Amino acid sequence: MKIKIRKIGFVAALTLFGAALLSTRYYMVDLPIWHFFGGGEGPDPSTLHLRGEFVESNLGAAEGPAGSLTVRMIAQQFVFVPQCVVVPAGVPITFRITSADVVHRLSFMGTNYGLSAVPGVVTEASFTFPKPGQFKIPCHEFCGAGHYAMRGQLNVVSRDQFASLRPGERRTCEQP
Amino acid sequence: MSSPSQSAHLRIGARCFGRCFGTLLALLATTVLLSGSDSSGQSENSEPPIRVPSNVAWTQDTLALISRGDAFRGLLLARRCNHCHGEEGFSSVPNFPNLAGVDRLSFWKQMQDFRSGKRTSPVMQPIAEGLSPRSAADLAAYYAMLPTASDPQDSRAFPQPMHDAAGASMAIRLIVFGDGQRGIPPCQSCHGPVSYVNGAPPLATQNGNYLEQQLELFSTGNRANDINVRMRSIARQLTSEEKTALSEYYGAGHGPGVTSR
Repeated sequence: MKIKIRKIGFVAALTLFGAALLSTRYYMVDLPIWHFFGGGEGPDPSTLHLRGEFVESNLGAAEGPAGSLTVRMIAQQFVFVPQCVVVPAGVPITFRITSADVVHRLSFMGTNYGLSAVPGVVTEASFTFPKPGQFKIPCHEFCGAGHYAMRGQLNVVSRDQFASLRPGERRTCEQP
Repeated sequence: MSSPSQSAHLRIGARCFGRCFGTLLALLATTVLLSGSDSSGQSENSEPPIRVPSNVAWTQDTLALISRGDAFRGLLLARRCNHCHGEEGFSSVPNFPNLAGVDRLSFWKQMQDFRSGKRTSPVMQPIAEGLSPRSAADLAAYYAMLPTASDPQDSRAFPQPMHDAAGASMAIRLIVFGDGQRGIPPCQSCHGPVSYVNGAPPLATQNGNYLEQQLELFSTGNRANDINVRMRSIARQLTSEEKTALSEYYGAGHGPGVTSR
């Protein structure tokens, strides 16, 4: 009986040790798994403008199949593209962003929302903005000499107003 | 006439073939299904036509090709450019850009964009069509090493006096600090001398008239060969007074730091 308990303890200790090792070294263990499932390979930061979902004609708010809304943005030294995005209020919005050079971070001023733009990785997050308003998007991760002047804007408008803005196209506030 | 053993072999062969074929089919079906599910995840209701601003991308191969440029060969090739851009890389007409000390990457990129029609110019497009990527790299190497110091022998248009000296403070503010409220980064954070971005030319010795034209073209979208809409989003935010002030300030030779990489 004693031996059995000791054995259980031994196995439990080993398991815990293994779990601790896995959790701290997850990036070494995990990466091949993501490669296997096809999730790890992001867009090449130097060829974003040539192919893939981040070509300049595909940036901005795009309506998906079931009325879902996806906003694609690029963060780069030292502007966000598109610099100003329009989204409707009260609707979950999926942001898909990546970086063309170094790590940037979008933070929506006045909210708790934010997400990092990492070169070679697509960061995806879903936010809902309950009320119409204007939010500045300062870069929240030091990215270089022009970091402090790197700022985008998010205009949250009512749903009706959004629907009237060039339906079926990528929507940004820069469009005429 | 087949013996029983032979026919048994044949049967086994057929069964094996059938099994292999079945496996192959199953594999094919899975790949098709997987790729189908992949593409359906990407697709949207309406796909706008893809617009590519420039065929140039700053990949390792491109950077290597440009860095192999031979300045001596560039010197020979530059005889065609001297008429407009000056013997020493400073043009005598302020509407043409100065090429002395221009950054290799930006020079090469503009040549490729003229060649592919991504940047339009009735003068430069036919000239660039005759330049191979290697020749453009040679020219880029030559112009990058030309000195930007002034030469009294040279008939350059470069330092033009500012028409409105009051614009200087506006220009300095934009060059050094930018305007965070509108999301305009400081000019010097990409065009030097504080820091550089691939493909951004140094502006300290550029002609003011040329700069003003290009800012205007960028802001209206008539020039759209900047990668990832970088310069277009900045120029769109500038007022016409700011564009004039900036170009006159740089064109008067006040730009911070004469740079060559």
